[in-house]
Amino acid sequence: MASKIPPLLEPYLALPPEASLILLTSVLGASTNWLVLRLLHSALASPGDEDTKVVFVSFMRDLAFWKDGAKRLGLDLEKLAAKKRFKFVDGLSGLFVPEMQKAVVGKVGEKILSNPALEHVSGDIFGSIRDLKADGGKILLVVDQLDLLLAAGGENIGAVSVGEMLMGLQEEVHSTVTTLSADFPLVSVQQTPLEKDHAAFLLSMAHQADFTMALRLLDSGTARDVSGVIRITVGDQLREDDRDIQRRMEERELLYFVGGDGGVRVFERGQ
Amino acid sequence: MAFRKRGVVLPQAGSTTPSGSSSLPTAAAKEQAKGTRPSPLTGTPTTSTGTSSLDSLFGGHSGLVLGSSLLIEEQGTTDFGGAVLRYYAAEGVVQGHTVHVLGVGEAWGRELPGLNEEKPKKEVAKVDGIGREREERMKIAWRYERLGEFGTSGREKTATTSTFCHTFDLSKRLILPSPSNIHFSPLSTQPDLSFKPTDPSVSPFTKFLTYLERQLASSPPTTIHRIIIPSLLSPALYPSHASCPEHVLQFLHSLRALLRAHPTTTSALITFPLSLFPRSTGLTRWIELLSDSVIELAPFPSSSLQVKAVPGQEEPAQGMLNIHCLMGGVGGGDDLSFVLGRRKGLVVRPYSLPPVDGDQEGQNPGGIEVEGGGKATKADIEF
Repeated sequence: MASKIPPLLEPYLALPPEASLILLTSVLGASTNWLVLRLLHSALASPGDEDTKVVFVSFMRDLAFWKDGAKRLGLDLEKLAAKKRFKFVDGLSGLFVPEMQKAVVGKVGEKILSNPALEHVSGDIFGSIRDLKADGGKILLVVDQLDLLLAAGGENIGAVSVGEMLMGLQEEVHSTVTTLSADFPLVSVQQTPLEKDHAAFLLSMAHQADFTMALRLLDSGTARDVSGVIRITVGDQLREDDRDIQRRMEERELLYFVGGDGGVRVFERGQ
Repeated sequence: MAFRKRGVVLPQAGSTTPSGSSSLPTAAAKEQAKGTRPSPLTGTPTTSTGTSSLDSLFGGHSGLVLGSSLLIEEQGTTDFGGAVLRYYAAEGVVQGHTVHVLGVGEAWGRELPGLNEEKPKKEVAKVDGIGREREERMKIAWRYERLGEFGTSGREKTATTSTFCHTFDLSKRLILPSPSNIHFSPLSTQPDLSFKPTDPSVSPFTKFLTYLERQLASSPPTTIHRIIIPSLLSPALYPSHASCPEHVLQFLHSLRALLRAHPTTTSALITFPLSLFPRSTGLTRWIELLSDSVIELAPFPSSSLQVKAVPGQEEPAQGMLNIHCLMGGVGGGDDLSFVLGRRKGLVVRPYSLPPVDGDQEGQNPGGIEVEGGGKATKADIEF
């Protein structure tokens, strides 16, 4: 089935080992949304595994978008939220909107962030993790576009403090996945504080990550049947210690195509 | 059925099903607010940008998806993006949508293009139109046929779904309805007499957001809103501290949140001057990332414009249109160009170098040397 997890990516999307960090990077026009959805699917819909739970923090998109995408993969996030296997932390709807901040009552399984200060953000995510942790199980934390907080948060939020916040969250969960933008202008020039902070944060994440899946557009321009390139790089730590994961991890570069219906095909060059 | 009384139930069942089935489409038609239609791709409601060829760029959606935003970046000193905004505003006014213009005053709204009055005549002569199209097709060489199709599909759309997207005439002025449905929210400036320096830590966008939020919350759920932000961050309109990342990015993030909170009634168009904020900067990239669709207008420098319009041929392109990110996406990677005409508005079409004419231009080695007389088209693009 084209819409489910692409076979070539299966080893990378399986539940990562304990205490690992996975970095997904995107550029404008090659977003990680489809990859995140497939990651959720493999964590929540694998048969026989009722143990894995997901806390999903999204700073750029609301729950309706993710629900819609997940439904196409046959994943009912609402039902999972009712079963206490999924919790959504909404970093879009109320984060910077002035008046809405008062009346933010999330539905079941949804928490709306209303204060962009780091201690509030991390406090709310902690709360959500604790909610799910109450009845045991492995928790996968997925943080989508954490870099928005860094870019829009103003002077008080720097690369180091956001990194520390994520580190603190990592201690509480089984493993962590985060997506960041890796556009050329955000990392190459490094003149303004925005660019410097972003580059610093992205690089430190890339060094910490056990493996990185980087999405980018085709270097040769747009094509009808290829949306972009996915490059999988194994991190330093993974290479050093001889863990089980090493065997199934392989550095490679693949092409992918996202169809109009949300279905994804991943294939090797020349296939 | 067998257990029911024939005399009573059958007519009932007969009457309920047809009435039910007939009421369903009418209810759906009623639900479909004026000037919107469901996307053929996903069924999400879309609205027109007022420029039919721009609508057709949105791949399968064939319109701007409600609840999303389009960022139009423009190079140089021209204002093609402003023209697109005015079409978008005029379309909203004609459709009875509520139009919110942020950052500029009422004067902006006086320059909206008027409705093209010749439309009824054209609709009568629709059959003629098809005949003419066929004729045109005969003229163009086979290898340009596909390019022709692109244009005609846009033209056909305006003819058949005229209620979705009107055609406007740049030389006319739209007469606004008396209880105007277009609202302006100029940038919050302090009273001129106080000489206090502006506090750079206060976001200049807060007023927009509270205004928009109040408008969206207080309006009935059937009202369609169009949000227009001309030349975001241009120093002619905005104070310098508006371009602090925390101000502008927080604003765009909130705008995104507002659009998502009203996914069936809102849409936004933003123009952005690229010459002042080049695409190589992180700030511009974040502004792009926070928009749902991003296109860039790159007008040709006026010196290299092939200004001479050959009669019987398509008008020469005035610039390139680059797609950076688009909801629905356009199939394939054709180079796109645009032309702004008085009658047709902005037309987006695949870019092709004009065939070299044998007679006069063929003598020029390049074939695209600038010709002296450019008055005809220049008059057309002035507005």
